[in-house]
Amino acid sequence: MAKQLVQKVFVTFGALALMSSMLVAMGTAAPAGAAFTYQSKHAGGTLHLLASTAGGTLDPQVNYTLQYWQLYQASYDGLVSFEKVSGQSSFNVVPDLAVAMPKVTNAGKTYTFKLRTGIKFSNGKTVTVKDVLASFQRIFKVSNPNAGTWYNDIVGGPACVTKPATCTLKGGVTVNATTNTIVVNLIKSDSEFLDQLAVPFGSILPASTPGKDQGDVPIPGTGAYTFSKYNPTTGLTMKRNPYFKVWSAAAQPQGYPATIEETFGETVESEVTSVENNQANWVFDPLPTDRLQQISTKYASQLHVNPLTADWYAPMNVNIAPFNNVKARQALNYAINKNDVVNLYGGTKLGQPTCTILPPGFPGYLPYCAYNSKSSSTYAGPDLAKAKALVKASGTAGDKVGVVVTNDPVNLAVGQYIQSVLNSIGYKATVKPLSANIQFTYIQNTKNKVQISVSQWYQDYPAASDFLNVLLSCANFHPASDNSINISGYCNKSISAKMQTAEALELTNAKKANAMWGSIDKEIMTTDAPWVPLFNPKLTDFVSKGTGNYQFSKQFYMYVDQLWVK
Amino acid sequence: MGEVVATEEHSTIDLTGNGVTTARGPESPWRSSLRQLRRNKAAVAAFGVIVFIVTACLLAPVYAHGIAHENPFASNLNGTIRLGHKTVNVLQANTQGLGLGVTPIGPTWHFSTYFLGADSQGRDVFARLLYGGRTSLYIGFVSAVICCVVAALLGLFSGYFGGAIDWLISRLFDIVWAFPIYLLAISLSVVLLTSGINVLFIHLQPGSLFLPILIIAAVFVPYVGRPIRGLVMSLKQREFIQAAIGAGASDWRILRKEVLPNVMPSIIVFFPLMVAFNMLTESALSFLSIGVQPPAASWGTIINDGLNLLYTRPWVAMAPGIMIVITAGALNVLGDGFRDAFDPKAKLRGSI
Amino acid sequence: MFYFVVRRFASAVLVLFTISVTVFLIFFATPGVDPAARIAGRSASAQVLAQVAKEFGLNRPLPIRYLLMMDHLFIKQDLTSYVNIGDRVVPQITQAAPITLSLVVGAAVIWLIVGVLGGVIAAANQGKFIDPFIMFIGIAAVSVPAYWLGEVMNLLTQSKFHSSIFAWVPPPGYVSFTTSPTEWFLHLLFPWLTLAALYAGIYARVLRAELVNALNEDYIRTARAKGLSERRILFRHALRCSLISIVSLFGLDFGALIGGAALLTEVVFGLPGVGMLTYTSLQNLDLPVIMGCVMYGAFFVVLANAVVDVLYAYLDPRVRLV
Repeated sequence: MAKQLVQKVFVTFGALALMSSMLVAMGTAAPAGAAFTYQSKHAGGTLHLLASTAGGTLDPQVNYTLQYWQLYQASYDGLVSFEKVSGQSSFNVVPDLAVAMPKVTNAGKTYTFKLRTGIKFSNGKTVTVKDVLASFQRIFKVSNPNAGTWYNDIVGGPACVTKPATCTLKGGVTVNATTNTIVVNLIKSDSEFLDQLAVPFGSILPASTPGKDQGDVPIPGTGAYTFSKYNPTTGLTMKRNPYFKVWSAAAQPQGYPATIEETFGETVESEVTSVENNQANWVFDPLPTDRLQQISTKYASQLHVNPLTADWYAPMNVNIAPFNNVKARQALNYAINKNDVVNLYGGTKLGQPTCTILPPGFPGYLPYCAYNSKSSSTYAGPDLAKAKALVKASGTAGDKVGVVVTNDPVNLAVGQYIQSVLNSIGYKATVKPLSANIQFTYIQNTKNKVQISVSQWYQDYPAASDFLNVLLSCANFHPASDNSINISGYCNKSISAKMQTAEALELTNAKKANAMWGSIDKEIMTTDAPWVPLFNPKLTDFVSKGTGNYQFSKQFYMYVDQLWVK
Repeated sequence: MGEVVATEEHSTIDLTGNGVTTARGPESPWRSSLRQLRRNKAAVAAFGVIVFIVTACLLAPVYAHGIAHENPFASNLNGTIRLGHKTVNVLQANTQGLGLGVTPIGPTWHFSTYFLGADSQGRDVFARLLYGGRTSLYIGFVSAVICCVVAALLGLFSGYFGGAIDWLISRLFDIVWAFPIYLLAISLSVVLLTSGINVLFIHLQPGSLFLPILIIAAVFVPYVGRPIRGLVMSLKQREFIQAAIGAGASDWRILRKEVLPNVMPSIIVFFPLMVAFNMLTESALSFLSIGVQPPAASWGTIINDGLNLLYTRPWVAMAPGIMIVITAGALNVLGDGFRDAFDPKAKLRGSI
Repeated sequence: MFYFVVRRFASAVLVLFTISVTVFLIFFATPGVDPAARIAGRSASAQVLAQVAKEFGLNRPLPIRYLLMMDHLFIKQDLTSYVNIGDRVVPQITQAAPITLSLVVGAAVIWLIVGVLGGVIAAANQGKFIDPFIMFIGIAAVSVPAYWLGEVMNLLTQSKFHSSIFAWVPPPGYVSFTTSPTEWFLHLLFPWLTLAALYAGIYARVLRAELVNALNEDYIRTARAKGLSERRILFRHALRCSLISIVSLFGLDFGALIGGAALLTEVVFGLPGVGMLTYTSLQNLDLPVIMGCVMYGAFFVVLANAVVDVLYAYLDPRVRLV
């Protein structure tokens, strides 16, 4: 991903947005949500979680899956972390292993942290500044997926990216054991830096941890829980960290279950049945659409639905036929009925049609709908007549189109629907399902000549550039590579330049920057329409009868360690 | 046990045992076998069932356009149908409780529209069932024929000739049977998606039915071939074969006249089983994108679609399953009838 | 007998070699399965990919990589997965093997008993109603897709009737025999029934046909003329020679299933056996695990067929050991 220079903006607009530009360094701009008050009578018991497959490596500095990021909340800490509350404030960054938010000097290029004392890892050793330095170096040593995009703006970072084994970050991260301070120097200011330290990649691990992806070997952490066992085929177990004492309930609260187990291997249908029978507490996987009716009627009180800042969209390859013709892209935007797509996902309560790139509630979101059956900023429906006319005018009618989707039921259904629509407006379309493990890199590689696909994008943290810059700037289009997240291959130099301006503006005038992002979003879709934005999904969490205290974070979703089993 | 009889020469001996002679002499064995077959009520009924199914499937376009007036291959998420006086949505959003989920309409039991209900794309399941039958019957049948013929040949040669030929063919069976067919299918699906492949002079598209037919036929060759081989190995030691060898008959003649007729009943037993297996394997391959591509239908793909509707619309998965059962069952009964009618031993027994 | 074993062993090596080479080639001929991307993880940069490729030796020529993989798999036994870093393939398979063994042996006992009984009863009552009835049930069971049957079993036992008739059915998963024999049995009961249902029909069908065939033989007529009872004729004479087809099929089925062919049944019932391992590794395109599972399965196919060939000689003494 490209370097993001957007200042972290809190989600509420108006007065708070003004304050945020001054207070970001102190991290208390938005009203702090009430931290969880611990009720010890509910402590204890074993929490049974179900997931159909393992999530890959257990190493928090390598793993990039939501499945394990949700578990790392409770087991690892960084210098800062996202606030462990529910509601809007869960986007706040608060000090964690650092005593307070860092002092930012040198025009945003130097961050000074002071480390808390007396915190121990789950192996009994105390956390020292040496561990902090080692953890920063380790990000590069284990070839973290974002080492070259997020963390290479630390001084010494680029050298670490090319030669990870000998990474020292000299001049970039300096620690002082007597004063317990850590000074981080950046090459240029980056106000997403704290967000990037708050995600699990920024976890502080013991300095003795080898500089290689640890795979299924658990690494000791400072959190309330620690991984005790991991078998990628059968499951994992987390137990209470015996050395954990709460130092900040907002950063790392006390957890309730004595043991957390996540077992793998059941089919999703079977998992849902287990939760219904109170044999397990929660299912990680998306609920099968044919169980939604049963669950939302018979078990309605156990179902929680929360909006996500995420997109389902269909990127079109703007460099090959037929979608290299803007009229063809606009035609498809008119032709697809987003309400139908939402129905395939599970109905209007689970998804909201969208015409924009940024999701609602996101900094910079500007409601508009360029391709609509009637002129309105909310989506009203498709306009097939206009679509057919545009196809004719484009001269691409009759072209063969292949829709590449993943093999799971919902994506396949959406793919079949898009195929049907393409056929109805004058193309000869086929659906090409691929296994989920292949599809994501397959659609990025231009060698595969993918014309249109269906994909999803979930935020890393709430910053408009995380959507617009990452997914649609020239810098993120790498032809002939498996890693070219600008899937549509869209490269508009003037738009990319505007994005740079907006990013720079974030540092000084957040409100104006947001307005710019909003207009960039609108301009991209209105003029070039490289995507068909489909809908913004909501997340369903189905918990069992015997599970209580469901709490939701907008950043990491359900708080696993706050569930009651007693 | 057969007898080395010169069955091809005309003879006044009444071999049919039916005591029927016509003006032109005794009835030919083929004729009398057919007559015996006709007398087998179950076999006739089974034949009727198969003819009915095949005809119904061939008439699928007539049903879809003429009777139901719909396109079973286009997504119909917004569609409505008239049931009596009411207009009903094909996909209905759930309104009770938290109101999550959208359920396709269930069976209407009206022949003219959505008889068995809709699938998750809002398409008519019954119409797709008819269209799907054509594809499934075609794939199932052709691959079963290829499989049984190749397996019979290989089993015959392997069991009869023994030695190096048996060793080679047996190793071939081992390799094919142990081969990871799903890996091949996944790989092929990606290759076909990207570039397509050329086999000899044919350019294969992902939707080509040629590919699943060959793959399925090949996969089951050992399953039919090894039992045949075992049988032939056992037969080879029988007196009548030994006698034929002693009499100086050529290998080809022995294979054709002595071994094959005794192995034929077993092959006939396997054939309907293979048709059923092949239709099911086709569903697995279609899931991996080899063979029937959406929106085309086969009984296998409809079963796949139906698996995601199991808890709300079980008929979508059951109906094609029932069709496979009926087809395999009818073929089975018909096969038994054939075997009973054409088996020389059975005729002789019948004469006592 | 000794030469037989030696020859079969050599054949096994040849078969395993052929399959492993084919698997290797198929994997690398597939576009979009670059193992470096798989190992490095989502959206790794080009530099990271290059690092990983160097570390795992992915830039070396294909034959060298093949030999290295075979070396790690068979000799050093430290072959690791592409997807689960550091996870060794051989222990994964040895852990999964007893589960598949439990599933397949139990199901095999059931389907053999049911299949043989069904075939014998049908043949003994040829022409009466029970004959086509048994055959129809058998064909129906065979025509049912495995995954569907498993899901329906789960629907009935875990969901619909779980509070009433099937309250005693434990949740899906596996409990080892050493931990609790009763739980082991209960957890495996429905998987056994599902798997057995898919095979019993074939065996009944084939056996019935062979028996009917055998009952027409001269030697059977002689036995009848001698005054032996029908039951004795059936069981002691006709059955023995009719078992050849059954034994052939059983060798093929059992060999394949032990090697992991029951993957859909294992997936549906949540049993972490070799089949489930194969299934997950195929989805993840995890070549080392795929290779390990395929080799494991191929070995059992070859072994089972060798055993069957020995059994031919026992069943029909005139057949020479080939």
